[in-house]
Amino acid sequence: MDDSSTIARKTWELENNILTVDQPDSSSSDGIFYYDEASQTKVQQEKPWTSDPNYFKRVQISALALLKMVVHARSGGTIEIMGLMQGKTDGDTIIVMDAFALPVEGTETRVNAQADAYEYMVEYSQTNKLAGRLENVVGWYHSHPGYGCWLSGIDVSTQMLNQQYQEPFLAVVIDPTRTVSAGKVEIGAFRTYPEGHKISDDHVSEYQTIPLNKIEDFGVHCKQYYSLDITYFKSSLDSHLLDLLWNKYWVNTLSSSPLLGNGDYVAGQISDLAEKLEQAESQLAHSRFGGIPASLHRKKEDEPPLAKITRDSAKITVEQVHGLMSQVIKDILFNSARQSEKTPSDPSEPEPMITS
Amino acid sequence: MAPSSSSGLTFKLHPLVIVNISDHYTRVKTQLNPPPGSVCSTENKASSNNNNNGEAMNPRVYGCVIGVQRGRTVEIFNSFELLFDPSTETLDRSFLEKKQELYKKVFPDFYILGWYSTGSDAEESDMLIHKALMDINESPVYVLLNPAINHAQKDLPVTIYESELHVIDGIPQLIFAHTSYTIETVEAERISVDHVAHLKPSDGGSAATQLAAQLTGIHSAIKMLNSRIRVLHQYLAAMQKGDIPCENSLLRQVSSLLRRLPAMESERFQDNFLMEYNDKLLVTYLAMITNCTSTMNEMVDKFNTAYDRNTRRGGRTAFM
Repeated sequence: MDDSSTIARKTWELENNILTVDQPDSSSSDGIFYYDEASQTKVQQEKPWTSDPNYFKRVQISALALLKMVVHARSGGTIEIMGLMQGKTDGDTIIVMDAFALPVEGTETRVNAQADAYEYMVEYSQTNKLAGRLENVVGWYHSHPGYGCWLSGIDVSTQMLNQQYQEPFLAVVIDPTRTVSAGKVEIGAFRTYPEGHKISDDHVSEYQTIPLNKIEDFGVHCKQYYSLDITYFKSSLDSHLLDLLWNKYWVNTLSSSPLLGNGDYVAGQISDLAEKLEQAESQLAHSRFGGIPASLHRKKEDEPPLAKITRDSAKITVEQVHGLMSQVIKDILFNSARQSEKTPSDPSEPEPMITS
Repeated sequence: MAPSSSSGLTFKLHPLVIVNISDHYTRVKTQLNPPPGSVCSTENKASSNNNNNGEAMNPRVYGCVIGVQRGRTVEIFNSFELLFDPSTETLDRSFLEKKQELYKKVFPDFYILGWYSTGSDAEESDMLIHKALMDINESPVYVLLNPAINHAQKDLPVTIYESELHVIDGIPQLIFAHTSYTIETVEAERISVDHVAHLKPSDGGSAATQLAAQLTGIHSAIKMLNSRIRVLHQYLAAMQKGDIPCENSLLRQVSSLLRRLPAMESERFQDNFLMEYNDKLLVTYLAMITNCTSTMNEMVDKFNTAYDRNTRRGGRTAFM
């Protein structure tokens, strides 16, 4: 590709600790893909995570696993889907190599793996082992279409149960709707604290928008788990292929529009905001009547609801304006061809591409 | 080289399949060549390949591609791994059936479309595997990925073959015919491919970095478009000078491309575009109002605090 994108990419790699496993010339080729059963069994027996509830701090997800999970999550539409992840551990890092879907569909925030799902899981991992995927299950993923990446009450109890019996175990949540709307992958990796574990109050999870009807569920359980840093990795062949893919792929970048197909979601977000505003208004009115001290107390605990709403609305606007910008750019490119003759191609028709 | 296919089917390939095959290959290869320093205790029961040296450096992997065929369009969505059965020189059938059953439960709409393997070119023995699949899918496809990294190459090292019945020397024979394909994505898939390929920030980042990422994406796409147009332009210029023989079919294609511009030029499009534009401005306006209100509210709160303290001290005079 071109120079500027190479530089930009290098910057990102530095900023985000993205590991390209192995440069083509190095001898230890794609070492992360090697599964060392002996050392994994050793870790299994030592169980270093039992002593420290914060033991695991990082997650590494392979390009394949990410792609599989996001595509699966999106295929569910507004229905929650779930699946399992296979991988291994390395120190305080959980490495996710692969993921597979489970034949379970949840509704709302209820995702439960039933008996036949377990059966499925066992069968799948057996066949997978035969096909050279040696890693064990290290966690589960599910989707929260449109309401952000966090663990609901039921997710917390599921995860807690699994962490008791199936360590190491990781929970990953993906929001496919927001992924499409924001143009970047919305994903979160979580582990729960054991029951009764007290955490310090300064633990602040990253702020995110949560719809009004879920906010209670979020608030009750949000102190029972912590999120892990996610980085991604890919093999040398992967990155080579992905680079080449771009040669066929730029058309999709040009022809896609985040504004189309996500209208419902945006409208929903705005109406959710309106409701939150109303709530904030009535709260403010109360605090005014109840005298000023009430509002002072509230301020100390938490940032005022209005500030949160402002942030949410700014986020929606940024996404919308981004979408609009690409539309305007395309309009200029392809619809103002009268003056210049330098734009003889159409983004919506990728077929007659010349590959020299 | 195999001849081009004449079936007229359109193939759409999803990036997930490519990444899946690549991962399968990398995994098997790494497992066969453990990195130095690690305890080599695992038996290579994983791979059905023989463990001689040539194989270890360049193992072949096999799998099945699944997807949907609608009319004359074949869309390959996903794939899964299969085992090679050396005794029959085809794919392990019972394994395939088991896998198929498992995948059917999760993706009920997907059917087996064919199989994949790695290598540089389709081999004679591949036809055996191909034929064995024909009772599942009447005309299976064969997706071949060349895992050798060649930086000079600009095209994806993925080839899709179909089988065609040809009469060679009076005997009807099945031969592989390679066919063209396009890369197809769903929006979420595109974003995640961008995410892993161009390494976007994993967490939100500030509005500025988001904007930069968005614009860089569009910029590089337009750059690509520009370079493609340049190729066309050079070609046409060379043709005009007489360096290259004039080829009418290509000229026709170029002309039809040019004819298509401007892409949209109807009243209704303009109306809709403006409406969309105004809607977005309205959303921005709303957000600004919210922002203002919030700031005002904070100001009032601060004012109240100051005012409150002053009244307690008994002095209003400071304010007035």
